Parts: sequence; C-alpha cells; structure tokens
Amino acid sequence: MEYVNPEGLRLDGRRFNEMRQIVAEVGVVSKADGSAVFEMGNTKVIAAVYGPREIQNKSQQKNGHALVLCEYSMAHFSTGDRRRQKNDRRSTELSLVIRQTMEACILTELLPHSQIDIFLQVLQADGGTRSACINAATLALADAGIPMRDLAVSCSAGYLNSTPLLDLNYVEDSAGGADVTVGILPKLDKVTLLQMDAKLPMETFETVFALASEGCKAIAERVREVLQENTKQLEYRRAS
Amino acid sequence: MEGRLANMWRLTVNESKFVETALQYELRVDGRGLYDYRKLTIKFGKEYGSSEVQLGQTHVMGFVTAQLVQPYKDRPNEGSLSIFTEFSPMADPSFEPGRPGESAVELGRIIDRGLRESRAVDTESLCVLAGKKVWSVRIDLHILDNGGNLVDAANIAALAALMTFRRPDCTVGGENSQEVIIHSLEEREPLPLIIHHLPIAFTFGFFNNGNIVVMDPTYVEEEVMCGRMTVTVNANGDICAIQKPGEEGVNQSVILHCLRLASSRAAATTKIIREEVEAYNREKNLQKVKRHSTLAKSEVFGPIVVVKEGHKKSSDEDKSAEISQEHVELKNSKEQEAVASPATFKGPETCSVSSDPAIKGKANDSGDAQKEVTGDVEMEDTPEVTKHKDGEKTLRDAVKPKKKKRKNKST
Amino acid sequence: MNAQVAVSPTSLIDQIVVPGDVVLDLSNMTNQTIKLGSGLRQESDAISAMRAGKFSYSKPNKYWVESSHKRYIPRTEDHVLGIVVDYKADNFWVDIKGPQLALLPGLAFEGATRRSIPKFEACTLLYLRVVKTNIGMNPELSGTDASGKASVFGPLKDGFMFETSTGLSRMLLSSPTCPVLEALGKKLSFEIATGLNGRVWVNAAAPRSVIIVANAIMNSETLSATQQRIMVEKLLAKISD
Repeated sequence: MEYVNPEGLRLDGRRFNEMRQIVAEVGVVSKADGSAVFEMGNTKVIAAVYGPREIQNKSQQKNGHALVLCEYSMAHFSTGDRRRQKNDRRSTELSLVIRQTMEACILTELLPHSQIDIFLQVLQADGGTRSACINAATLALADAGIPMRDLAVSCSAGYLNSTPLLDLNYVEDSAGGADVTVGILPKLDKVTLLQMDAKLPMETFETVFALASEGCKAIAERVREVLQENTKQLEYRRAS
Repeated sequence: MEGRLANMWRLTVNESKFVETALQYELRVDGRGLYDYRKLTIKFGKEYGSSEVQLGQTHVMGFVTAQLVQPYKDRPNEGSLSIFTEFSPMADPSFEPGRPGESAVELGRIIDRGLRESRAVDTESLCVLAGKKVWSVRIDLHILDNGGNLVDAANIAALAALMTFRRPDCTVGGENSQEVIIHSLEEREPLPLIIHHLPIAFTFGFFNNGNIVVMDPTYVEEEVMCGRMTVTVNANGDICAIQKPGEEGVNQSVILHCLRLASSRAAATTKIIREEVEAYNREKNLQKVKRHSTLAKSEVFGPIVVVKEGHKKSSDEDKSAEISQEHVELKNSKEQEAVASPATFKGPETCSVSSDPAIKGKANDSGDAQKEVTGDVEMEDTPEVTKHKDGEKTLRDAVKPKKKKRKNKST
Repeated sequence: MNAQVAVSPTSLIDQIVVPGDVVLDLSNMTNQTIKLGSGLRQESDAISAMRAGKFSYSKPNKYWVESSHKRYIPRTEDHVLGIVVDYKADNFWVDIKGPQLALLPGLAFEGATRRSIPKFEACTLLYLRVVKTNIGMNPELSGTDASGKASVFGPLKDGFMFETSTGLSRMLLSSPTCPVLEALGKKLSFEIATGLNGRVWVNAAAPRSVIIVANAIMNSETLSATQQRIMVEKLLAKISD
C-alpha cells in the first residue's frame, strides 16, 4: 500500500513532517483537582488528576517521595470494533510507562507522604494514544497545580515507504512499519520516554527519532499556549 | 504490616551511596567495567524447545510449546507467537503469587515487541490451513532467580528455546483436504521454526541524573539506578525495539551512545547463542544415531532418509497452504501421480526398509517432488524428470543446511 | 571423668551430621553435665542433630553443630549488623535477617535520654548487640556494650555492606585471623565490621579497595586457606596492572 503519494502527501493529506490538529482544554472534570482534554486529530484523551492527597494504601508509601499512580484505560467505544477486555497487558504496560514518565517531571520530593492519582481515558483512538495521554496528563497535572520540573510532552513518528512520518494515525500505525514514541522534557532537553518497535537500521532510527523530538518541541509550544491562555482567563475572571 | 516490612529486602543507605560513588570512579561493585556483561551460560533441556539461561546470578528458564488453533480473523494465514511470563515468589520475595505484576507484564511486552514486531520468527510458515488451522507458538518464561537484568536473560532464554524448538510435522489430508493430520515425533522428524534474525536485548542502567551509563545492571544496581533502557538489536545492526519507560530523562546523545554500544555487542551474543544451539543440536543428533545403531544396518539408513524427505515435504506444504488452498490440492494430486509412476526408481535402501515400502516410498518420492519446488522457489512446478537426478544434495542444502549434516553422518 | 566425656562420643566429633542423626547417647554418659549448643536437641536419652553441619565439641563439655546459613537465629551477646526499618513509639525496628524484626529501644545508646534519642532514618546500617532473645517476643538489641558505653557500636557511615552466610561471618571473626583477611590486610588498608548474622561492612579510602575486599570475602566462602590466599593474590595482581 502507498502511504505517501508521489507529491509527498499522506493518506489524510498531511506532509511527512506535519502534525494533526491539536485541540486542548483544561479544567473539564469538575470533581477532579486537575483535568484536561487533549485531541490530536481524531485521537481524544481525557485526563483527571486527584491529589496530592493522603496515601490510601500505607504499604505503598515511598520514603520521602510522593506516590504517583496512574490508570490508563480505553473506552469500549474508542475504536471501531468494540474492545474485548479491560485490563489487558497493553494497558498495564502503558499505565506503568505513563506513570514513570510523569514521575520524572513531578517534583515528588516536595510532597512526601502523599499520593497523586492520574486517570486517563481514551475516548477516541486513532493512533498515538500514548503520546496524547502523556500530553493530557501534563496539562492536567499543571491544572492541579502540582510542582513540576518541566512539561513532559510526547510525540510519535514512524517510517513508511522509506519516509519518516510524524504523528502516525491509526491506518499508518497498523501498517506494520516502525513506530517510535518519544517523551521529552523540552526545557531540560532530556529524553524520558522512548519506545520503539519493528526493525529499523540505526541511521534511519536516528532521523525518525530526531523528527519525533521536533514534534515534541512543537507540542510543548502548544501545551504552553494552552496553559498560558488558561491562566490569563483566570486572571480576567478575577479582575471582573 | 510489620510482616511486610520484615520480609522486604532493603538496600542500606551505605550501599546505595557506595554504588554511586564507585561508579564515579568507573567501578562497579562486582568488579566489572561499566560496559562489561556478566557471564552468560545457556543450557538446554531434554525436550525440544526448553532452555535455561544464567546471567550472573539471574536465572531464567524458557519453554516453547505449540498448538494448532484457529487463526485470528485479521490474519488468516499467519500463526501466532505469544509470550507468558511467570515471576514466582521463589525467585524474589517481592514477586507476588497470582496475577502477573506490572514488571512481569512489561518484561513480557518488551520481549514480545522485540521478537514479534521485528518479525524474527516467520509466522507465515506456521500456517497449516489458511483461515482454519495455524500453529500457535507459546513461549513461557520462568524466572528462577532474580539477580538483576531479567529482561536480557529472559530474552536470551526465549531465543534459545525458540531455536531448539521442533514442532510436530503435519499434513493436510482427509476429505476435501481439509483435515489436518499431526504426525507424532516418532513417525516423522519434527520441524524447526524459521527464525530470520535474532533480536537481542541489552539493558542499560542510568545513574547520577543520566550521566553515567552501565550495561547489564545487577540487582543492587537496579535498586539504585534512576532510569533504565532496554535496546533490542540484531547482529545486522538493525534496531528491533527500544523501551525506556519514563523515569529520569537523559540526553539524546547518551541514548544514541547506548544504541551503538548495544549494536556492537549484538554479534558477540548472537555468536554465543548460535554456538550453544549448534552444540545442542549436534548432541541431539548423535543421540539419535546411537539409538538406531543397535538396529540392523539397512534399517538404520532407511527410516532416517524417509523421515527427512517427509519433513521437507510438509514444510513445503505449509507454504503452499498459505498461498492458496487449491494449490495444495493440486499438489496433492501431483504427489499421487508421482507415487504411482516412479515407484520403480526407488533406491535400494528405501526398498529394503521395511514392512510397508509403498507408504514410505510415497513419502520419499513426493518429498523429492516437493523439494524441487522449494529449491528453486518461484519456479513453476517441477518437471518430474529432474526429480531423481542427483541434484538432490544441493537442493537439500537450500532447504535445510543443518539437516544435511545429520543425514551425511547417518549415511 | 572429663576424660571419659572426651572419649565416648569421639566417633562423631568433627563428622558431618544431618538432621535426625543421634549424636550422643546419654544412657552411657551418666553423671556428666554437658552443654548443648545450636543444632542439637534432646529426646529422653538421645541427643540428636536438628541441622546439617559439622558436629563439634569443645572442652570441657560443649557440643554443637557447626553450620552455615543465610538466615540468622538471634542469640544473646551476638554482634550483628542491623538495618533500621521503622521508628515507632521510641523504638527502632531493625532487620537483622532473623525470623522477626528486632527491637532497638531508642534509649539503648550511650548518653541517650528521653529528649535526645538518636535519629536514624530508614535503611541506616547499625552495628549492634543482641540483648534479649525470648521465644515469642521480638529480640531486643542494644547500641552499647554491657557496661553502657558506646564502644564499637552505633551507626556505620559510608562503606559498603554485603550479605554472606553466618558461617562465613564466623570464619571472618575467628582467631587467628582468617587467611583471606590476612592476605588482604598485607596489601590494603580497610575497615571491616562483621555481624554474626552474615552481614559484612567494609570501608576504605578508595572505592577500588572496598570492591576488592568485598569480592574477595564473598569468593572465599567455599575456598580452603591456601586457595583463599591464591585468590586474593590474583585479585590484587589484577589491580596493580
């Protein structure tokens, strides 16, 4: 199948280094201490953060650090065909990966004896859910006012028809090509999350990796804008 | 509560501090250099497809089993490969019995990604009847002792087990050629899996905010380190999977450095695995020879030859099955012909073989016919003339180099 | 009389016994007082072994089974290395590799008063003395010697701790100095604290020396005296390159 036509356009009309449209909003769940919706094209994720609050299960307590918990789930209606089981191995792994990514950017040492819960729900899945989840979680954590080192953001890139492609959608993702998901701390310029599958030669990997990192930086910019806008709005409201 | 506290293994402040300070002098507590690997030993069990890997103190066991199942709907002509991990409390008190924990799931997924997404195992050759029956290969990984770096050890165990695994041969037959007959191990030589390349996992530990990198972290180092990354590479320098699950951020340059280190190591580890597997195969074959040597001479040769041919035949049949159903049928009918006509050409060995020369002869002949097909893969169906020419040897080479050795030995 | 004691059980002394072996028969040892050490058990007239190991005897009348384990059964007056687990109600809970956590009263330090209980965070390593080991109670530890002085006890700073077996730690503490320590001591200067619970702490100025000492000790578990010396020499030769 041809995923990039001779004019260099992808199936959905994007160029190789073009991202899907990003729509993000914070404060969407009224009960939660912090929440956000993050959309990348047709992928839509909602994140809710509770905490810092008292640790529920004392035995999990870590010395001098806040406990971060994360639960990732996919809504049954999020994909075309109804999903089978809920707690499959993929979700367990993703919960772990997202938790550890968020742990890297939360200043956990400032909040000992407390716990932070992150709930993530994929409402629509169209590729790049783990990136969208991390971005949503970052926004929600920022909304909850939890001290963070940096805004962890994530983006994926792939390699199809010998072209590196930014931000794969579902069709491109399931084409069997390589898929590289990168999570970075943009200001510190450090890579915290890196997942990759399928076979790629070293040099190609480097270009795909670089492309994904560029994508992360662009997303970081957008995430920043969203937070700025939100803060400004709060200011207006107070003023009026 | 108190019980939990008492049974937990814990690292003292002294240890964690020392590990870090020593690393700043490029020293590791077990005396290794930063990028040294621990001693790797691979052992195999008596059965096909079982392996035992020891990496320092880490001890992992791998078992491979296969079963005929219905294929997934979206992939009707592909077999499946699944990985199950067992972290028993025997290996480490922190492993809890029952459902696999997060780390067990992650380990399984890393290995799964490395093996499956990079198409290391040829799943298409596991198809018997498209849409109806395929082989489902299951890898069970048991952690017997946790001395750190379970991923690498488990990955090697999985590879070693896959490489020594043999599935029973089967043929399509019965009415409408829709029934699958599984041949027992005694009846026909079981078949190995087709493995295209060996993706080998290398785990790195990051210390001191990601400035210090070590390879193959031990249990103590795993407790201290602030981040880890597993890179799965093969000997050709391809990257098959990467897993850096969050944790401390590191610079891009460090990551690329790790990738290069891993790729430079892959060849050496691949060599170790291949050598061990070969040694095992050799031994297995020798055993076989011994077993038969008590029999009369003519009988020694006969069955082995027959077995060989039969085995080739069905591997072909797998392929043909996935190409299309009719094709198989066509071939089957061709086989029948083949049996009918050249029966007289049968070599003396096969004739002298046994009770039922007709059947074995059939296997032999049809095998030959099939072999031609694989030999010159895409060539149109075999002219029967070449069938009994002496091209046999080269063709066999093309199909299965290892098997050739064995045959030579036995004949 | 003493002579007779020494004679009668000679057959088994210094032999390897396994659980269930009857090592002494009291019926032909009347009018004697004997002391049983670890690993032995009396059942009417028979003394039998409970653990596998070497049946040992020391004059005048002590018998025990010498063995090596990873777990430690606390005994009073043993010196152990403990790891602080928790602090509750003026007591530290300390892990000494025993069947239960041991209790270390916050006041069991030299000069400690109710107001000045030393503070140890979790996972601190302490060199301690076992004071009480009553069945059914958590063993009790102390950070002072019998006269209430701190002497050698207390927290251990820096260095490296590793776990071995109780047998090995007894070997390290035996006199004359065991060959591995002697050989190491000739070339390197280091500090060592050995707990009878099979934990060993080593410290030296250079991390390299600590690693060598630690590995040499861990390797020596199954080696004879000469082998130990050779092994140490090899290790030292490696670093002098």
